[in-house]
Amino acid sequence: MSGLFNVIRAELFKAKRKRRTYILAGLLWVVLPILILIVGRILQTNLSGSFVEDTVGVQTLVQQVASPFAVARLNLILPVLSSPPFLMIVIALFAALLVGEERNQNMWKTTLVTQPNRWSVLFGKIAVGMILYGIILAGAFLSGILFGAVGTLFLDTTFAGEWGHLAGLYALQWVLGIGAMMFAFLAIWLLRNVAMGIVTVLFLPTLIEGLYTLYRTTVGFQPLNRFNALFQMLRLRQTLEDLPRYFFTRNLYAPARDPLSDVVIGLGGDPASSDLGSLVNALGGNITLQHATLVTIGYALALGGVLIWSFLKRDIQ
Amino acid sequence: MVEMSAISATNLSKHYGTVAAVNSISFNIEPGEIVGFLGPNGAGKTTTLRMLAGLIHPTGGSCRILGRHVPSPSLLEIGTMIEEPSFYPYMTGTANLKHAALLHGDVPKARIGEVLALVKMEGAADKKVRAYSQGMRQRLGLARALLWRPKVLLLDEPTNGLDPVGIAEFRESLLETARQGVTILISSHILAEIEKLVERVLAIERGRLLFDGPLEQLLLHTDEQRVTYRVEATDQGVLLAALADMKLGTEIVDERFVRVILPASATPGFVSGLVQRGVEVLEARRETGNLEGAYLRLLREDGRPA
Repeated sequence: MSGLFNVIRAELFKAKRKRRTYILAGLLWVVLPILILIVGRILQTNLSGSFVEDTVGVQTLVQQVASPFAVARLNLILPVLSSPPFLMIVIALFAALLVGEERNQNMWKTTLVTQPNRWSVLFGKIAVGMILYGIILAGAFLSGILFGAVGTLFLDTTFAGEWGHLAGLYALQWVLGIGAMMFAFLAIWLLRNVAMGIVTVLFLPTLIEGLYTLYRTTVGFQPLNRFNALFQMLRLRQTLEDLPRYFFTRNLYAPARDPLSDVVIGLGGDPASSDLGSLVNALGGNITLQHATLVTIGYALALGGVLIWSFLKRDIQ
Repeated sequence: MVEMSAISATNLSKHYGTVAAVNSISFNIEPGEIVGFLGPNGAGKTTTLRMLAGLIHPTGGSCRILGRHVPSPSLLEIGTMIEEPSFYPYMTGTANLKHAALLHGDVPKARIGEVLALVKMEGAADKKVRAYSQGMRQRLGLARALLWRPKVLLLDEPTNGLDPVGIAEFRESLLETARQGVTILISSHILAEIEKLVERVLAIERGRLLFDGPLEQLLLHTDEQRVTYRVEATDQGVLLAALADMKLGTEIVDERFVRVILPASATPGFVSGLVQRGVEVLEARRETGNLEGAYLRLLREDGRPA
């Protein structure tokens, strides 16, 4: 165990000296909340007395967008709605720092001689990745509260909100990050190229999910053709129909997307409505948090297994 | 009690497909020995050192460090510089050493200052490594290798890129380390350097161990144990005539010195023979054996055009 703790201490020491750690934190902890407060201020000043008063009311709207609870909530939701998702970028860059840089700087031969226990090195680095990711998420939660509190000085907002539930969602989003962390470590380790590894992490899941959509729109909707006949014969048809429920990103971001329907309801919308445009996909359909947790842990175990096998086996040239 | 070897290899092999990078080599290095590891590029030196350091897995045989199979916790007792030392360029020299100290886990705080002083890097320790010259990187690499007071040092071409002053300083640092009882296996292309450092040599070629023995034995290994003298006399013409009379091979070095090559068996009577022939000898100095020459002859014996 001492080897593991040594690796954790050393990698945290290194991460503290890397500028990207602070840039990522700054974007989520400072820039995003300030933008949210600016939007809240614009809503409060520009929409007072407008049509909004007839539907949800400006005070309600501002409370849903820029209250301490809302800022903390949006600090969780918005980073997974960007494309590629900001949280995945965070994980990919931390993996690049912890694994890719060893390759780029030709440091593996030094690291694995200084600490020759490869189990300790790998699990220490994964642990540090999760610690850094946890700090980023915890900071987002706290900065949301802080900036939201500042917002109460000039916005018509209160501290009301389901804080315990939101904190739980942050914690679950952190736990599910292990799946993404394993994926990022594996991609960067196997490809032996940081840039290609990051590109793979950011786009491969989307690409695979896009291919499925292509299949559904071309072959899948035909009532009967050779493919469907084959799938039906193999009793795979239903499995294929259910496949999206097991997509990586759909499950990975489930905790962050969970409060989105509350936001829609809070703003007077209907989460079940098809009028929500691109938000329909973001709402995540019928995926429960329990299902998302099981699926993501499954991904983590599978990807982690390959990573461990490859890491222990590979020669360091 | 039988004392265990510091480093040992038993039929150690590494094959890449059908190519044998290292082919069943065996050797033992006792604690406190300084051993030179010679071989041309691609001979298998670095592969062997990497296997000893646990970085690559042998495809055959085994190796031990301090009596324990590799990989094992005994690897925490080794320090290495394998090929060009690498660092995190955005950190200072001190921060790089601190990171290594944390990673290893058994390094007192004061030790970082000690190793920096040993390699004379205190002045540049707070500069970022990206600003370091090649020589500074080499010295910082040695400092890192010595950080946890290793019992075994594996050094691969450690003087690459150093200027003559840097090489001399590096040699001093290494000798100082050796005096503390550290076992050192050092590979180098600069054979003159190896000659000044080691007592024993391992020579490897095409993955096979060609020679394992004391340096002197390698020097005398070939060319019928010939000895070279450098001689100065009051009259070089008389000296050359006497040498011709003694039927010895000569080479005029300059207007003062003549180099004489003679069988080792003729050494005892060499100077008295000159005196008997009327030569006033001012100086007759036996030259140290030339490792490079001996090594090239060894390769030639192995069928390699040297």
